[in-house]
Formats: sequence, structure tokens, C-alpha cells
Amino acid sequence: MKILFSILISITFAFASDATIEVIKKVDSLPSIAVEDSSEYKDETFKLKFFKTLIADLNVLSIFNVDRYHIISSYDTNTVDVRNKAMDYVLKYNIQDYGDGFLLQMKLISDGNIILGKKYKISDSKKYMFVAHTMAYEINEFMGQPSIEWIKKKVIFSRIVGPKKSEIVIADYALAYQHIVVKGGFNVFPKWSSQKQDGFYYTSLNEREPTLKYVDTHTGSVKNIISSEGMMTCSDVSDDGSKLLLTMAPNSQPDIYIYDVATNIYSKLTQYRGIDVGAQFMGDDKIAFISNRLGYPNIFSKDLKTGYIEQMVYYGRNNSACSANGEYVIYKARESSNAFSKNTFNLHMISTKTDFIRRLTASGVNEFPRFSKDADAVLFIKNYKNQSSIGIIRLNHNKNYLFPLKYGKLQAMDW
Amino acid sequence: MKKSIFAGAVLALILSGCSSSGEPQVDETKNVDAQQVETVKTETVAAENANVEGSNEGMTSDSNEMSISSLENELESVYFAFDKFNLDTNAQEKISKNSSTAKNEASAYTIKLEGNCDEWGSDEYNFALGLKRADAVKKALVAEGVDASRITMVSYGESNPVCNDKTKECWSKNRRVDHKLLP
Repeated sequence: MKILFSILISITFAFASDATIEVIKKVDSLPSIAVEDSSEYKDETFKLKFFKTLIADLNVLSIFNVDRYHIISSYDTNTVDVRNKAMDYVLKYNIQDYGDGFLLQMKLISDGNIILGKKYKISDSKKYMFVAHTMAYEINEFMGQPSIEWIKKKVIFSRIVGPKKSEIVIADYALAYQHIVVKGGFNVFPKWSSQKQDGFYYTSLNEREPTLKYVDTHTGSVKNIISSEGMMTCSDVSDDGSKLLLTMAPNSQPDIYIYDVATNIYSKLTQYRGIDVGAQFMGDDKIAFISNRLGYPNIFSKDLKTGYIEQMVYYGRNNSACSANGEYVIYKARESSNAFSKNTFNLHMISTKTDFIRRLTASGVNEFPRFSKDADAVLFIKNYKNQSSIGIIRLNHNKNYLFPLKYGKLQAMDW
Repeated sequence: MKKSIFAGAVLALILSGCSSSGEPQVDETKNVDAQQVETVKTETVAAENANVEGSNEGMTSDSNEMSISSLENELESVYFAFDKFNLDTNAQEKISKNSSTAKNEASAYTIKLEGNCDEWGSDEYNFALGLKRADAVKKALVAEGVDASRITMVSYGESNPVCNDKTKECWSKNRRVDHKLLP
């Protein structure tokens, strides 16, 4: 009896303790990385700024447990600082003066061996964050993770700075670099004209009629594209940059139009006499758009070949913005409908091929979702308690990051 | 009894230690070639572009300016319910009064209707809602005899608030259509 009892207890303990240890191990399973600064650069503030940017980038990769201590060490040896002996990876980098910019060398050390080495040069040290972003991108590639081109790209956004006053700004994804490109007056809805990010469209509300303009970022030239009474917005640009989806409202009837950049010819895509706005390309032959044809704003798709229109979202009573990539659509849903208190808007993701649905945010006003081209991340605007921020959701890692604006309120953006 | 329990516990501990979840696999190829110098692309971004072509609201002479702004003050703003663009009786009364001003004292000017929304949402849908509000006012003005070709419309969405408090009074003050006069 006693033997049987003790055998049963030992078997129970065996399985029970295994389950507990398994849970703890999962949380801790990201490899650790520490960063050692071996810079010969004179400016201490700059060194610390660069270090912090690099740490933030490595954190956004979501594949490491990043140690935040600013440790100074020598670049020449392959041995790591004694405080980092237990780290899985150590990244050493060295910044040297180079005219108005700097040279950077880096090496990634694991187990006493250098596994990756790179050199970078930049001619303007004010753009230091782009070096950190490129380093993070290349480390991510080296670790065999899915590509994250978006970390190297520029974001363009408009922010409201006063009633009917706004600025259009070009920035990196973390808002560390900001360059105001359109100032004065009321200019909204900026949109990159191509993947190369060598020009952008925006809507000017300073003229007699809302006008779509195009700016070439290399020459700084501005060109009027098209005007319309009531509303004039570029909602989306096709992947090759040859076609635009516009929202125009002649006779105050907001509808979606497709515009050919080369020929300036456009044609109307929606006929409903209510509100049809916010179209997004879904491949070459289909668009997703917002319409209130059911009495409330919701997401629909239209096949451009057959003209067939289909409702895409069957949840919620107010879904007023969307972004599409491949089979996935992210949309903004109003979660409370209160005229007398603060409202919550959250982002949800659905698949067009299955009935998969997932909520991506939890609180505040989350709007203006924008998929990255590689579908790895979603950029969005978060307004919460008077603070306006750009948010990034890493879809595969289930993590959100927020980058607050120092002043102004975000109106629209693109990357 | 104690011995067997102790043996059982030791056995349990030994067995539980044999978990088989592997360490995350990392690519350890020892690629140490550090000779390549990679320049990060530094694109020059357009210089600031202070393109402001403001509408010339009564800039011809001082007296002209005075009369336009005093007439604008006579044209009362029209207010709307949450998420709606239809006119209630209060709004209808204001529009009747405004149409009289528009047909008489302000008959020389073009009327620009500006649609506005409260702060919930800066996307295109909200701009369209503001526009629909302006359109509702336009249709009512036309029904009262104002010439449709004299009326132009624009929407500012939530970007032109008259107040910024987070109160229901403020939000209801922002859901409006304003009237401006253009020469």
C-alpha cells in the first residue's frame, strides 16, 4: 500500500513539475543581446543618443532580450566586457569622425567568435538614426528572420498645429528624424508616390477647391495634379505607382475614382449616392473601400473586372478606415457610440480567405491603419489622453510600440 | 515509509528535469568578412515649401473687408447631432434666416460652406461626413431660393475646432457648418 502510494505520488510530481518548468522556459526563450560602445567620437551626448536609438531598434526587432546598460569597451578585442559574459550576443560598434558625418564599424560576437561584421558611412551625422536602423535590419536578416524593409524606410505624416493649420513632415519610423517639407496653410493626407519614396502627393485645402499636389523630394518642385469641389484625396497608390485611387466629391457626392498618372484619365468606381471613400488596392483587380450604403460606415470590396461589390466585415456598426495587404485587411472599428463621453476605436484584422479575426489594440483612439508592403507590420495613429503617437504593431511577434509626437496632433500618414 | 516517499520525490525531480524543449536555433555561420563599406543612402529631402495661396477674403479695400466680416457674423452656424448630417428644426430656422441675408445684403458674394466634425476620427470618412453636412445646408439654402451656383463647399473634418475641451458641450459646438463669404 505504502509503496503503491509513493509510486503514485512520484508519478504525479514528475508530470506536474514538468508543466510548470515548461511555462517559465517559454517566457525566457528570447536570446539576450548587449551592446558595447567603443566609439572614439568626441561628443558624449551624441554617443548616448546613438546608443539609445540602437537599443530601441534592437528591441523593435522583437527577437532579442535587449540589455539597456550603456557599456563602454575597447573595439580591438573579441572578448566582451565582463558584465556581458552571460549574454548570448554582444554587439560592439565604433564611431569615428568623418567630415560632417561619421564612419561606423560593428561586429556581432557570440561565444567568443565574431559572427557578423559590417561597416557604414554617412555624410550627415544628423541622420545617424538611419545607420542604427540599417544595422538592426541587417542583424535581423542575419538571424534568418522575415525581412523588415519598413525599418529603413521613411514615414510621411501630417500634423495639425492649429485650427486649419498643418505641417507635412518626413521622418524615420521612430520619429527621431523629422524634416518639415510643407509648412503654412492646411495640407492633409500625404501619400508616397512610389516604393522609392522619391515624391509624394498631398491635398491642399488652401485654394478655392481642394487640390491634389505632387512634390518631387529631390528637386522640391510642386505640381498640381487634379482638383475637385468638396473633397480631393489620394487614398492609395498602386504598387508600380502608375495608378491612384482618389476620393473626389463633385456636387458634394463623395465617390471613388481610379486615376492613371501617365494619361491623366480617371473613371468613377462607385455609384452609391451616400459616402464612398478610403479605397485601398488589393492586388491589381480589386479594391477595398469604406461605404455607408448599409446605413453605417463599413468595409466593402469591389472586383474591378466584374464590378461585383461584396461586404467584407460583418462585425460592428461603424468600421470607417481600412488597409489591405494580400488576403488580410486591417480596419478601424468604433467600440463605443457615445455622444457624451470619450470613445474607443480599435484596430481589427481579418482574413478574406478564412473567418479569422483578431483584435490588435485595446484602448484609446486607434486609427489610420497602414500595412507595410511586406505585411510584417502595421503603422497606425494613436490618440490617447491628449498625446498623439505613431504606433507600430509587429504582427508576427504580437507586440505594439508607440512613438509619441512632441507637439501637434497626427492627421494622416504613409510609409 | 519515509524512505520510499523520499525516493519517489527524488525520482520525480530527476524525471522533471528531462525537458526536451530545444534552445532557439541561431545561424552561427562565421562570416567575418568586414571589408565591405556600405554607404547608407542619404536622400536630400525637399526644402520647406511655404505654399499658401489663401482665398482672398475681402482684401480689396478696408471697407469691403469690414462688410464681409460683419455679414459673415450675421450668417449663423448650423449644428448637427453626433454622427449625423440631417437638419433638425433649430437648424432649419437658422437656414431660413441665413437665406434671407444671402439673398439681400450678401447677394454680391459667393457663399463658402465649411463642414466640420467633432474630434472622433481624422480619416476620409469624417471629412466626407463634414461635406455631407455642408451639402445638407446647401440644399436647404437652395430650397429657400438662394442660387446654387453661388454656393461652394469644403470639409475640414475635425481639424478646425472652435474649442478643445473634452466635454460634450465642446464636441457639440464642433459638429457644425460655418458660412464664409468670398468676393
